[in-house]
Amino acid sequence: MTAGERVAVVGASGAGKSTLLGVLDGTVAPTAGTVEVHGSDPTTLRGRELRRLRARTGTVRQQLDLPGPLRVVHNVNAGRLGSWSAARAAWSLLRPQGAAEVLAALDRVGLADRLHERTDRLSGGQRQRVAVARLLLQRPELVLADEPASALDPALADVVLTLLGALAAEQGGALVAALHDPALALRHCDRVVGLEHGRVVMDAPAASLTVTSLEGFYGVTR
Amino acid sequence: MSALRAARSGGPAPSTSPLPPPFSRRALLAGTGLALAAALAGCGSSAAEDRAAPLRIGAIPDQDPEVLQRLHGTLAGSLAAGLDLEVEYRPVTDYAAAVSLFRTGDLDLVWFGGLTGVQARLQTPGAVPIAQRDIDEDFHSVFVVNTATGLAPSDDLGPLAGLRFTYGSETSTSGRLMPAWFLREAGIDPQGFPGGPGFSGSHDATLALVASGTYEAGVLNEQVWSARSEAGDVDPAVVAYTRTPAYHDYHWLLGPRAVERLGEDLPRRLTDWFTGLSPEDDAEVLELFGAQSFIPTEAANYAQIEQIGRDLGLIR
Amino acid sequence: MTTLLDRPVPVAPPLVRDRRRWAWALGALALVGWALAASGLFSGAVLNPGGVAQFGRFASAALRPELAPEFLAVVGESVLVTVAYAVLGGGLAVLLGAAGALAVARTTWGRRRAGRLVVRGVLAVPRGLHEAVWGLLLLNVLGLDPWVGVLAIALPYGAVTATVFAGILDEVPRGGFDALLAAGAGRGTATLYGLLPQATGSLLSYAFYRLECAVRSAVVLGLIGAGGLGYQLSLSFTSLRWEQVWTTVYALAVLCLAAEAAGRAVRRRAADPRAGAGRDPVLAGAVWAVLVLAGWAVWFLALSPATLVSARAREQLGHVLSAAWPPATDRDLLAAVLAAAVDTVLMSVLAIAFAAFGAVALAGLVARPRSAGPVRRIAGGAVRTALLLLRAVPPPVWALVLLFVLLPGVLPGALALGVYTLGVLGRLVGEAVEESDQRPREALRAAGAPPAAAWLYGTVPSLAGPVVALACYRWEVAIRDTVLVGLLGAGGIGVLLSASTASFDWPAVATVLAAIVLLGLAVDLLSERARAALR
Repeated sequence: MTAGERVAVVGASGAGKSTLLGVLDGTVAPTAGTVEVHGSDPTTLRGRELRRLRARTGTVRQQLDLPGPLRVVHNVNAGRLGSWSAARAAWSLLRPQGAAEVLAALDRVGLADRLHERTDRLSGGQRQRVAVARLLLQRPELVLADEPASALDPALADVVLTLLGALAAEQGGALVAALHDPALALRHCDRVVGLEHGRVVMDAPAASLTVTSLEGFYGVTR
Repeated sequence: MSALRAARSGGPAPSTSPLPPPFSRRALLAGTGLALAAALAGCGSSAAEDRAAPLRIGAIPDQDPEVLQRLHGTLAGSLAAGLDLEVEYRPVTDYAAAVSLFRTGDLDLVWFGGLTGVQARLQTPGAVPIAQRDIDEDFHSVFVVNTATGLAPSDDLGPLAGLRFTYGSETSTSGRLMPAWFLREAGIDPQGFPGGPGFSGSHDATLALVASGTYEAGVLNEQVWSARSEAGDVDPAVVAYTRTPAYHDYHWLLGPRAVERLGEDLPRRLTDWFTGLSPEDDAEVLELFGAQSFIPTEAANYAQIEQIGRDLGLIR
Repeated sequence: MTTLLDRPVPVAPPLVRDRRRWAWALGALALVGWALAASGLFSGAVLNPGGVAQFGRFASAALRPELAPEFLAVVGESVLVTVAYAVLGGGLAVLLGAAGALAVARTTWGRRRAGRLVVRGVLAVPRGLHEAVWGLLLLNVLGLDPWVGVLAIALPYGAVTATVFAGILDEVPRGGFDALLAAGAGRGTATLYGLLPQATGSLLSYAFYRLECAVRSAVVLGLIGAGGLGYQLSLSFTSLRWEQVWTTVYALAVLCLAAEAAGRAVRRRAADPRAGAGRDPVLAGAVWAVLVLAGWAVWFLALSPATLVSARAREQLGHVLSAAWPPATDRDLLAAVLAAAVDTVLMSVLAIAFAAFGAVALAGLVARPRSAGPVRRIAGGAVRTALLLLRAVPPPVWALVLLFVLLPGVLPGALALGVYTLGVLGRLVGEAVEESDQRPREALRAAGAPPAAAWLYGTVPSLAGPVVALACYRWEVAIRDTVLVGLLGAGGIGVLLSASTASFDWPAVATVLAAIVLLGLAVDLLSERARAALR
């Protein structure tokens, strides 16, 4: 993968998209073969070194992993925990640190007015955007996104994917997004990887593909 | 209504039923009903009135209850042999429970303290005292103090009034009732110690609490005090302050239902057996009770305790 | 600063704090402060250093428990008695609870709130009184019958179980139930098909949790003469034979451990059912095992239903009721009850504050991690064992040994309850941590957050609610438990209860019991409100 590249991963449910992303961010151990992220193998690192490596990869997961009772501001700030001391993290729960940056990030996803809201009061789509805002503050080089736009309307989906692509590009990194929507994949990515039963069955530049040719992955026949 | 439906709903199955179920619900219900009826019929003659029921004995958990209760076979065995009766020991851990169980007739013959014996007798018309130990007609309590108080032994109870003070169990005669009475006689409010008096729950706990200094003074049964002193178990921080005048304490009390069941002469037979115990032949039983012998007793011996119990609000 | 965020920042919305939550938090803090002040902690000496030697005797005996064969034989037989009481008492409680749940569930009453309130009030009586109190009352009616021990557990537990079962039924997603009602099904049918299938797992989990608790309660009952381990413990305790006390405590700890392991296995299975149709062998096996054990216990204790309806029981019930009616209402007693009630509340508040603080502090260690190094595993095992012993030693024993090193007052009693409650609450909170959603924390770890910060942002927020709920639940239990530790100069309503039972002053007993029930009801309503505010 090259710097600034945007890759869409497509495939039917259960094809292994989430697993691929999990292997990349180190939460899923590969059963065979080796992984190399940012030039090192995360399975061989420990402690601070591993943390530093992990901070360079950011993920928006399908289930989002945002504790509901926490206010939005804290959930967004959680993206910066890798660079904060534990004491600062604890103090921030009482007096939110760097609220201006949090506000800016939320503004990018259109949620600036929800800064102090409890996260479990938000809709699914709003929470998806909170997770994206958290990623903006983490500033990872490798951006992984698992269905980041599944609960968003088409216009917001475009905004979010553009943001994620720009984020990766700005840090000189790459974006890997698992997507269900062929049109979205072709609009926002340079390269499309197709998965079937955990194997790569296609790897082609987006320019060479059409929406119709991708629909085959989802069992749509015309 | 189909036969199946009828059977399911518990109604009578029509005779047209092709195959009668092996166990219809009705049969089951009838069986259960019969069993219940039998059980209910049996309860008219509950264990308490059963002529063949054994003599049920018990004891309040006062001094070394674990020894007494775990060696109860000794007592039950010799009593059974001596009277040619079936004897059953029933364990109890609570003073009030022993009194209640005597009232309900679950216990026929109980080793009571002075106060609990009076409580039990008042609640159970027809109960008679059977015997007491030689030491029980001249029983004493000992006031103890922690050495840190600097008090020298004296007959004057006055200095105790300003100390943190603990009794034993609430309805113990030697650990509460009589000491409270003698304190009052000496002009000290028995409930008026600083912070209120404690109730340690047992004579040994009183010793330990006074030894620790949590309570600066306390009172316990003289027999326990002597036994612990002789065995060298008393912490050097605890010393005797004074002992109370004599009073009557522990005794065996027999309930009326046992007499109905086992014969009018049961009280006399029991008294004879207890008073006939000799240090030579029955050392085991006597040792269990820390006595040289048992002697007869009568209700009048406990009139003073009853009066004091009423005065202190422990008997209503 | 990333250029992506380099834009004019909009005005931040004002921070609106939830007033209700703050009010509750401040109220709780004030209550704890008052309790601390009343305990004399700020106003004078509370420690009694002279008693360290006595405490040491108790503590050091832990290392050399009595192992004489005769005593072990006694303990062995007592274990059987305790198991029999626990299984029958706990089992009967679950049956009573299932019936009671239908009577108290919002589902049953629908919009008729008054009816539900009446049933709840009725249930407050069995549930407001401690098992030991029930034991004492039943003993006066049934005499020395095994039913005393069984019912003393089954009545209060049955009432608690009914409330919890009703809560589970009421909180199950109601889509299916409503759909069935809309399709014309009756309430009964709709409950059977729309609610029960979804609730079975939770109901089963709780039923087994009750069985575990029944083991500890069976021991407390031994203290009042129902036999078993508690009886042996209390005998040895009266003479301060600490070596023997520890032997019984260890036996009890093993029993608790076995019950908890079985309970946990059942809960795991119920929470995460196996794929595929058919019965789960673990769950079915557990239910059968309980049924077989119950059958054995009926035989072992020689339990006969005839006793319950015997003429003698009726006669004794009449005796007690006529002696207790009307309850005493003289001014002195009422004033004493009021003062003692305040002491009881303060004592229970201190106990819960201590236990909750300790439980939260230890929760990280108590929870079994999925992967950890040997040091962490050993530390976790040590803390779990310590908590097990804290709850295996009954509160009255704690009260005495703590009184060796503390001066008389509210504090030793409160601490005795607190230490015991910490044993229970520590385990419950640890389990809540184990069962909480680990994914947010793992996600933060994957994004490079240090462990402490990931715990703070990923686990703590969703744990606060359950921990407050558990603490509230134990608070109500602690109110009832204060009757066990009041005697030793600690005060509280237990002193009045024991004084009135010792002198067989039945009218006063009735008044004090009524006060205890009302106090429990008040605490129950208060904690319900608090939990609602924090939700």
